[in-house]
Amino acid sequence: MELAANSSGRGPLTQRTSEAGTVTWVEQARAIFLKDLRAESRTKVAFSAIGVFTLSSLLLMALATATLKELKAFSEPRFYQAFDRLHGSSDVAVKSIVDAALFPAWSDSSKMAILWVLLCFAAFAGLSHAFVHEEEAGTTLALRLTMSAPAVYAGKLMFNLMLIAVVTVVITPAFMLVTGMHVGSPLVFAGTMFSGCVGLAGSATIIAALAAKAHGTGALYGALGLPLLVVFIALLMNAANTVYAPQVGVVQALKDVGGLISYGVALIGVSSITFRYVWEE
Amino acid sequence: MSNQVDTRSKNVNEQPIGTVPPISICIDRVSHSFGSRCVFKEVSASVGAGQILIVSGSNGSGKSTLLRIVAGLLTQTSGSVAVAIDGAQAPSANCRQAFGYVAPDLVLYRELTGAENLQFFADLRGIKLDRGSLIDLLTRVGLRGRGRDLVGTYSSGMRQRLKYAFALLSNPPILLLDEPTANLDVDGIAIVERIVEAQQNRAGGGLTVVATNEPREVEWSSLQIHLVADR
Repeated sequence: MELAANSSGRGPLTQRTSEAGTVTWVEQARAIFLKDLRAESRTKVAFSAIGVFTLSSLLLMALATATLKELKAFSEPRFYQAFDRLHGSSDVAVKSIVDAALFPAWSDSSKMAILWVLLCFAAFAGLSHAFVHEEEAGTTLALRLTMSAPAVYAGKLMFNLMLIAVVTVVITPAFMLVTGMHVGSPLVFAGTMFSGCVGLAGSATIIAALAAKAHGTGALYGALGLPLLVVFIALLMNAANTVYAPQVGVVQALKDVGGLISYGVALIGVSSITFRYVWEE
Repeated sequence: MSNQVDTRSKNVNEQPIGTVPPISICIDRVSHSFGSRCVFKEVSASVGAGQILIVSGSNGSGKSTLLRIVAGLLTQTSGSVAVAIDGAQAPSANCRQAFGYVAPDLVLYRELTGAENLQFFADLRGIKLDRGSLIDLLTRVGLRGRGRDLVGTYSSGMRQRLKYAFALLSNPPILLLDEPTANLDVDGIAIVERIVEAQQNRAGGGLTVVATNEPREVEWSSLQIHLVADR
């Protein structure tokens, strides 16, 4: 064997660098989360994709609903004046029912549905980045050599959760400002938003992994996401109705928000078990 | 379609029957197909500590595929690959931590610096990589002073050198090198040769598997598998 004459053999590095130590999947997940955060802070690919989509959507919503708002502003006071003359002063509960009956597409529940449609599309525009980018850049091989499948899933899920939480915190007030959506029952509202974020991040993460492995990004992502999202949106709408119900029962609130969070937790649980079959070739 | 496999052994230390050597790879009648296309059939080889297994063959003969199977990154269609580390034998997929892997399809993060890449993979493997160790590692692969640069700004040769730093992070007992000197200049080739020699002479014995067609690299071999693709 002909090798360099000045070969130093086992150099200083091999003495100083320790052998691979024990590392838990939680530590690995934390490492990949921090790596994704650092990479995103430099490239801003996911935030840009989500930001551009949501800004343009909010602008379109503001323009599209301007006429509806004018019509509402014109007709609503006249209706209540007539109502008060007939039945005496109308209370808040009656007002919200009448409001929903007069403008069914402009009720708070409908606005909540539109908000979540917007959040879903925004999430899908950006959350796929975590896996698709790894696959397209070819860096999955290095990850597969160094970390376990559950750790990869957990790390990507953490990053997507953080991303969707930031997006929700930014978009929701802007959406409320544009559409005039109310908070309704604050506790149920907060519970619904939190559970929705968990479910959305859970479904987006596993769908992104499937789409990335199938070497498809756009169309496939939507097609794979539909079955998971139909259930998610249905549960979300139930919870949204409870948020804006005139009388919110504790049992009903727990049932609806609990159903939503259970869906998210179940989805994440099943995904973490099945992810290794997606991850390994 | 049937592929021919020619295994030539040079200076192979035979192990006594019934004992598991401290470091070894045993490839036993491994075949692999992509769909209906058979890449290679019934490849067998056994290599132990201090040895270098060369996998050569024409383009498309399955050199890289065999290396990926040995690394546990791809599951073979039939046959088995067993890896022994410190005398304990396990399927190769369970031994990824023991491998240092360098290949053309291995890509490190362009949006991170060289040092950040190494620190990230050290964290994933539970390795405490202090500043001194990091500088040693970068010096060893000829990247000293470039650790703070983004990998996206590296030349292809520098990226190849960084792959060696990645492979050597955990001081692995087994090195798997696919086209080891691709994109490297004369200095880079000398660095690779030093790494391979150090691996061969390391305490307790190291093992290297190289997929190549470069005559200079084929000469390193203790054992050679030559894969022939049918066209």
